[in-house]
Amino acid sequence: MIADAVTVDCVDRTTREINRAIREAVALGRSVRVTGPGARHNLAVALLRPGHVVIEGSAGYYCGGMNDGATIEIRGSAGWGVGEGMLSGRITVDGNAGNGAAASIRGGTLVVRGDCAARAGVAMKGGLLLIGGDAGYMTGFMMQRGVIVIGRDAGEALADSMYEGVIFVGGKVASLGNDAVYADITAEDERMLAEAYAAGGVERPRTLRKVVSGRKLWNFERSEMAAWREAL
Amino acid sequence: MCGIAGVFHKGGSEEPVGATLLRMLGALAQRGPDSAGVALFGGAVPRGEICWIKLPEDASAGEGEAIALQRLGTIARTISHHRAEGLLRAVIERTAPVRELAQRLERDGAEVVSLGRRLELVKRVGTPAGLSELLDIEGFRGSHGIGHTRLSTESKVDLSHSQPFWARGVPDLATVHNGHITNYDRLRRIYEQRGYRFFTQNDSEVIAVYIADSMAGGRSFEETLRASLDDLDGSFTYLAATADEFGYARDPFALKPLITVETDDIVAIANEEIAIRSVLGSTGTAHEPSGHVHKVWLRSASRAGAAA
Repeated sequence: MIADAVTVDCVDRTTREINRAIREAVALGRSVRVTGPGARHNLAVALLRPGHVVIEGSAGYYCGGMNDGATIEIRGSAGWGVGEGMLSGRITVDGNAGNGAAASIRGGTLVVRGDCAARAGVAMKGGLLLIGGDAGYMTGFMMQRGVIVIGRDAGEALADSMYEGVIFVGGKVASLGNDAVYADITAEDERMLAEAYAAGGVERPRTLRKVVSGRKLWNFERSEMAAWREAL
Repeated sequence: MCGIAGVFHKGGSEEPVGATLLRMLGALAQRGPDSAGVALFGGAVPRGEICWIKLPEDASAGEGEAIALQRLGTIARTISHHRAEGLLRAVIERTAPVRELAQRLERDGAEVVSLGRRLELVKRVGTPAGLSELLDIEGFRGSHGIGHTRLSTESKVDLSHSQPFWARGVPDLATVHNGHITNYDRLRRIYEQRGYRFFTQNDSEVIAVYIADSMAGGRSFEETLRASLDDLDGSFTYLAATADEFGYARDPFALKPLITVETDDIVAIANEEIAIRSVLGSTGTAHEPSGHVHKVWLRSASRAGAAA
């Protein structure tokens, strides 16, 4: 537990009251312990400065959304869109995450110790999504930048229509999405992965495979009509 | 949106499933304020079938009750009955298979809400809190149940269009759905040609008919849920339950939320974990499956037997 933390209890308070109390404590430089979250939605959203928030249980939708600098630890599972739109900071989910984890993040790190459901890292524009367990359908869909690391298995259509960025998978891949291809892991990748795992949270699998964009969908080519038909 | 919730005790058969489901639906009520309903599985009535039937809308409550009883009287002796808002609950003698009883009642113009030996299916326009007006849900003891709170997007708001839906003709089988079945019209035409009657314009009704037809064709409950992943189109997360089984099915795109918590004794499922936490506290880890998935739990025969 965090020493001298401010406790914000969720019971009988509105989401707005809870978030205001969290923000006020963070503004004073205090760590925050959020009790009785009961999987409430929109907890600890839009924290725009460094701070430390521990949510003592599960969080509902969009926990830590728009985070810009704070460290948020969720001692349970998280619902849809955990960390959505994050700019910087670090969010850790001890349990599992619902659909759309780390959707559209531009920076920061989201660590999910368990599994992610569908569309984790959809439209990511930067940052790191580190998953200890499995990732569901269409992980990394339309990803534009950043890194996703999946400790175990990936579902169907991995990295579908991704523009840029990179995905690593430790287990089986049910299928690659449109225009996703395997690539060799470089020395630079190794340095980045070592750093990502060194920060803690999840165990590194024995082997990892790398998936990137095949870049065939970047520009329309009439000669590649079949690929376009498939993708669209 | 719509909210769906389910609770399943793997062994226990005297559990407060009514109160549990009501609390879960209360936590999901913001997902759909239009109507609410539950399908609860309790102990079997000693003899006869439990029949929930909709009262005719074009008559006063008293007249409607008399008409419904008269219709019931044409197929079987009524052992007991009581009126509950727009519904009538009756225990009727077991004179023929459920499918035949339902068909005979429906030929006479009645809308059968449910028929079976363990299933109590009540629904109403309004919030889940009002469901206790129809049945002592808070005091209900049983093994499992599913519930629904509706936000109407495609069809009208009334009692008939509310969920759960009974899988017409199959004893003790009900379903609740969140989503939109986009091949509803095509499926409905197929089933109508096969003689199935639809009572609403609600696309969710077709799931109940699909299950009934599939099981009439010889598929098991589990096989039916699995096949539905490819036969139904659109966005769907639905729960279904029989007297002994409980399961979910979810579309390939995982478009509607589905959160599960399972322990050694209990399975709780809802669109949002907040509903599960409202009854289980911090017990168990929430998990959201990916798309194109189904799962079925079967009541533990030995434990159920010991409890019975």
